[in-house]
Amino acid sequence: MTEIVIFGLVWIALSLAADLGLSQIKSHTMYFIISRQGHLAEDAFNFLAAFLIPVAIFVALFLVYTLIRFRASNGDAVRSRQQTVQNKLFVTVWVALSFALNILFWLHPTAADLETMFRRDFLANNRHDLVVDVTARQWEWIFSLPQYHITQAVNRQGLDALTLPVGRRVEFVLRSYDPFHSYDVQAAVIHSFWVPAFGIKEDVVPGETRYEFVTPTRTASYATNPMVRVQCAEVCGPGHAWMEAPLSVVSGPAFDAWVKREQKRQQG
Amino acid sequence: MEQPVGVEPSAVWPPRRMMPPILRGAFWAFIGFVLGDLATIAVDPFQGHPLVTEISALFGWAMAVIGWVLGVGAWEGVVLPLAGFSEPWAEPTDMRRYFQFSVDHKVIGIQYLVSSTATFFIAGGLAMAIRYELMQPYLHFFRYPDQYLTAVGIHGTLMMFSVATVALLGGLGNYFVPLMIGAKGTVFPRLSGIGHWLVPAGVATIILSPLLGYWTTGWRGYEPLASQDPGGIVFYYLGVFALTLSSLFVSLNLTVTIIFNRARGLTWARLPLFAWGMIAVSILNLIWLPEIQMTFVMGLLDRLVPMNLFNGVGNPLSYLSMFWLFGHPEVYIIVLPAFALWNEIIPVMAQKSLFARSGAIIGILFVMILSGLVWAHHMFTNMRYSEMFPFSFFTEMISIPTGFAFMAAIGTLWRARFRVSTPGLLILMSMFNFLIGGITGVFLADPPINLQVHDTFFVVAHFHYTIIGGMVFSWVAAMYYWLPKLSGRLYSEFWGKALAIVIFIGFNGAFSQMFLLGLHGMNRWVPAYPAYLQPMNYEVSLFAFLLGLGFLGHLIHISWAWRSGPRSPENPWHGRTLEWLTASPPPPHNFDGEVLVRRGFYLYDSDQPAGVVLPESTPDPAR
Repeated sequence: MTEIVIFGLVWIALSLAADLGLSQIKSHTMYFIISRQGHLAEDAFNFLAAFLIPVAIFVALFLVYTLIRFRASNGDAVRSRQQTVQNKLFVTVWVALSFALNILFWLHPTAADLETMFRRDFLANNRHDLVVDVTARQWEWIFSLPQYHITQAVNRQGLDALTLPVGRRVEFVLRSYDPFHSYDVQAAVIHSFWVPAFGIKEDVVPGETRYEFVTPTRTASYATNPMVRVQCAEVCGPGHAWMEAPLSVVSGPAFDAWVKREQKRQQG
Repeated sequence: MEQPVGVEPSAVWPPRRMMPPILRGAFWAFIGFVLGDLATIAVDPFQGHPLVTEISALFGWAMAVIGWVLGVGAWEGVVLPLAGFSEPWAEPTDMRRYFQFSVDHKVIGIQYLVSSTATFFIAGGLAMAIRYELMQPYLHFFRYPDQYLTAVGIHGTLMMFSVATVALLGGLGNYFVPLMIGAKGTVFPRLSGIGHWLVPAGVATIILSPLLGYWTTGWRGYEPLASQDPGGIVFYYLGVFALTLSSLFVSLNLTVTIIFNRARGLTWARLPLFAWGMIAVSILNLIWLPEIQMTFVMGLLDRLVPMNLFNGVGNPLSYLSMFWLFGHPEVYIIVLPAFALWNEIIPVMAQKSLFARSGAIIGILFVMILSGLVWAHHMFTNMRYSEMFPFSFFTEMISIPTGFAFMAAIGTLWRARFRVSTPGLLILMSMFNFLIGGITGVFLADPPINLQVHDTFFVVAHFHYTIIGGMVFSWVAAMYYWLPKLSGRLYSEFWGKALAIVIFIGFNGAFSQMFLLGLHGMNRWVPAYPAYLQPMNYEVSLFAFLLGLGFLGHLIHISWAWRSGPRSPENPWHGRTLEWLTASPPPPHNFDGEVLVRRGFYLYDSDQPAGVVLPESTPDPAR
């Protein structure tokens, strides 16, 4: 009984301390997140962590506890005095708790978040979006904004770069093919469209058109935080590592100015 | 194998002058490759008439593997007896028997252990090269990015198919399962004998694959990238085919052996935990290895014919599904033996009855069943939300039977007098590491989190925690635990524990930081990355080098103890499973008599032994 009390108290104390620590850093657990979808992921992460940290501490503490309290004083083989092979209470609590935790996790965050994502991505809720056509080729991200007649958004150096307005819903249309490769339509592989700061990732698969919706929640850019970038996350050949493009999230007026610059650049 | 009665082994060996089997195997493999290659070129000349094309290499490779397996001894050991010749063939009894085809499950087990250990250090060396490259954010060690990606691919392929799948099943499984069930041998010894020699063939195929060109897909061989890659990818398919065939053979043999060769009194309810682990893994192998072999045959045909199965004209996602349909059971193929080893070794070290034994076994079996229902969580970035739902469910639920292994271990350790020996310490470390791997797996099962950390170093850290942390640590623990049985000798507790602490620090230092790297935006398969990730990558590499040195230390220590450690007592741990009832190392037919099992192996409530060895053909006194 003493063992249970000591172990239980240490476990509760450590778990509380760890969860308190988690609550202090919970807006940084995914480092830098600036989109609605990303915040959903971060909240789910923190929710799961709050429950899983005590679970992990229970087992880890037990292993340390074994090394301190349950170790044989010397290396001799002495039969243990206690030889319990069954304890209905312990097994019942263990099984019930693991079912309860897993069903909880499945309902929240999993089911709840999927429902939210489904509702947000519902087409009827996504009119008047800013449409960005994204073409993935080996090895380049090509962004075009058909609503603004921008066929390929580039920065001053002529490299692919994208700027988005803050607070406005964006619809990415994702395709993998090579517009510069006219004789082999099959020369396309799977890429993965990832913006670390947005918490979104979608594979871009040859022969399919896919859609990804995202709403940036604050201004930032690759220069202020390198997580604000478009990055290919699925290995796509030797150039995979360099298949990235800087991203900026700017205010509405700054976006309009950027659009004008891009349009001018297109006219040469 | 039947020894010729009354004939000294030295009198029948060698039967005639012949090359050492490995040399002969290599020679026959060379002849096989040339014959297969030239025959294909003759039938199907290629424009420009090169001597080796991808198609001719395929047939050449098939002939080479057949030549190799026959050359190392399957010709005398399998083919001639099948054809009715009674070749005067007997296995040598000295060191030479480890360097040729064998039908002794203990020899095969050691052959497997040596092959997978050697592969572990080759693939581990590649990991060191990868970590050295990642110390800087730009290409500085590898010359070309596809060279780096090939190193990643070979590292993963070798570690998965010739270490993680093979070491515990082919190595310890072949050696110890018959001993632990009181059998004098396995049911299909020739199958396992051939199985081992497919490992060097498969490993060589994969290591030599860059000869046909760097391949960039990593160990998963994703289409349609694979169909774009140079010819090296052909050797990837073929090497994996040989390696999976090897595990398939062993699985068939061990399953049948456990079903039919158990000692008297060894009921299913008394079957040792390790044997349960082995039969669960073998069943998974029998189900899923043919599946991945067919997938790779399709990948090969898609490339060579070509068939447009998996590119934009066909359906790339079919390949992904077919790969992970095998790929997720694979990780349980790797880790189930580790769960079994925890609860095999802990009761012995504690001299305490195993708590909730049936729970531990039910855990293993339900993980085995559920493992086939979770594969699509590797593809959440390709799925509708509605499709993620069930896979998320099963992935979260698989943690419940996994937890049973922990439950049994914790119940056994509670108020025990646990001997913190080297294997005992490594088992506790393995449990800690797998705990971290399992807990982070729950995060990955949740779709919104998965969509952020999928394909990042978070996932790399997660699966290394389960595979190195779970399987490799348990493997090292089992090597120390069974070293007295394998060699009759003891190791140094000081060096064993010191090196265990070194690999624990190196491992956790390296891989715990990879979780943070992944959350911070470090993606996979990159020889170059944004510079802000460099400081942490530098640290990870330093810890990784420490880990590599630690494993090297264990290798040296175990090899030293194996050859010249102090003599071990007959049963140094006071274990009760049947392998401790015989000499160390065991005689050719394992037991000098018939084994009778009287009670469970994990009951320490009395001094009564679980099994006894009776002189041959004594009637069972209990009946």
